[in-house]
Amino acid sequence: MNGVTAILGKELTTYFRSPIAYFVIAVFLLGTGYFFIYNVFLTGSATMDVTFQNMGILLLMVVPVITMRLFSGEYSARTMELLMTLPLSPWEIVVGKYLGAVAILLVMTLATGVNLVPLYLYGNPETSTILSGYLGFLLLGMACLAIGQFFSALTHNQIISALITLPVLLGFWFVGNMQNFQTSGFLRSLSQYLSFSDHYADFIRGLVRSEAIAFYLVVSVIALILTASFLQGRR
Amino acid sequence: MISLESVSKRYGSKPIIHDISFDVRKGEIVGFLGPNGAGKTTTMRMIAGFTTATSGRVTVAGYDMASHNVDAARKLGYLPEHPPLYDVLDVSTYLRFVAKVKGVPRAGIAADLERVISACKLEEVVKHEIYKLSKGYRQRVGLAQALLGKPEVLLLDEPTAGLDPAQIQETREVIRSFGKEHAVLISTHILPEVTLICQRVAIIYHGRLLAIDSPTGLQEASEQTNSVTLEVTAPPEPLRQELMAIDGVMAAHVGQVPGRDSLCRVECQVDAREDIESDIARVVAKRWALHRLERKQPTLENVFIRYVSDAANQEVVA
Repeated sequence: MNGVTAILGKELTTYFRSPIAYFVIAVFLLGTGYFFIYNVFLTGSATMDVTFQNMGILLLMVVPVITMRLFSGEYSARTMELLMTLPLSPWEIVVGKYLGAVAILLVMTLATGVNLVPLYLYGNPETSTILSGYLGFLLLGMACLAIGQFFSALTHNQIISALITLPVLLGFWFVGNMQNFQTSGFLRSLSQYLSFSDHYADFIRGLVRSEAIAFYLVVSVIALILTASFLQGRR
Repeated sequence: MISLESVSKRYGSKPIIHDISFDVRKGEIVGFLGPNGAGKTTTMRMIAGFTTATSGRVTVAGYDMASHNVDAARKLGYLPEHPPLYDVLDVSTYLRFVAKVKGVPRAGIAADLERVISACKLEEVVKHEIYKLSKGYRQRVGLAQALLGKPEVLLLDEPTAGLDPAQIQETREVIRSFGKEHAVLISTHILPEVTLICQRVAIIYHGRLLAIDSPTGLQEASEQTNSVTLEVTAPPEPLRQELMAIDGVMAAHVGQVPGRDSLCRVECQVDAREDIESDIARVVAKRWALHRLERKQPTLENVFIRYVSDAANQEVVA
């Protein structure tokens, strides 16, 4: 546990002492703000649903930038040799780093809260739907970060890591659209089940389904296990 | 404290380390000597637990590195070949991070930091970001990191690389003082370093351990590298016979010095007897004019080259 908190602290310090965290958060807020203004003020509806939808796609773009340095950066700076020879299990390294990335996600998410101010000032939005949307957004982000972290563990090159992560995340996002082309019922329900966007859409509508929560958590845990066992196997 | 039992390492089908066994006891500094690419770093990494041995057993402080590397890591300080530093962190944040991971109690962290900072002379750069530091400072921050938590076993992969002569001197002092109570293994390709601070030397070449002995023991073991060179104005054959008659001269190669007709240069292989050169001088000077006489003592450098060339010859024969 000591190891996890030490890694988490180091991750946060490195994120905020390099421009990455500021850059990612700024770009994300800029995009979210644009979509929010467009969706709310131009259509005149006091809801967050379309904005949440856009935030989801925007998230797929920024996640690779957050996760690419997690392990690739350690490999290329040769600091992995330090982490692997300190009294740390691969699990502590993986979880500590993952929590660091999740912390960036949390900061990003909280910062989008400014959008709610005009929403509540000038409209009468449905609080429970907004909360469920935020819950979905965080869960989606956690799954994406875990996947990005795994691909970062596979390569020394941060750019490669980001370039692999992005299409994989887009694949998980759009796989639901393949339902319409499937003739077999099994493939249809599989592509629906794997779809990041379908589960997310439920949250946006205000529907908090335990299967959807479990889905994102299971995806995250599988990706974390794969990362930890990859590190173990690398020794 | 460190023990290797017939350890081998292969990457794919390529063997890197062949059947190495040795140990490092408490209170001992062992030098790990070999040319670049001999397998020093790979061996260090296996002891540190960064990679695992393909076969054989590595134990550190009683823990098997294959199964209990995290327990062993608590007893271990390791300076890899490239100091593992986070460029965006400042020196004290970096050291604090390592101390925390090593499990130094919260109350003791400040004191431990102070100890390693003064041991490695880092006072002036404590607040500097690491990317701004010179190579010498980076190396010393790496060393400071290894010393944190007072580990029982210290592994230093070329600790003096990149340092200037004064810093090398200081670093050796740090290592020597640490070696009194701990087990230290340092790898190097600088021979004087080994003679200066190590009690024993392990020589490695092409992944094989050629010898492990004290620096003086290695020197004694190689007495046949003793030689005497002399320049004499004399006819070659009588000179050779006269020299071979001296007790302790094992071989004499007589050659002409180009452009100087009657001057011979002689290389004599001699045994380790202290005053053999004065015997030679006396015998030669009785009949001819002796211009120059030089006794070559075996240095560790010669020893090392001899061991390496022996091993290379054996490989050619095999």
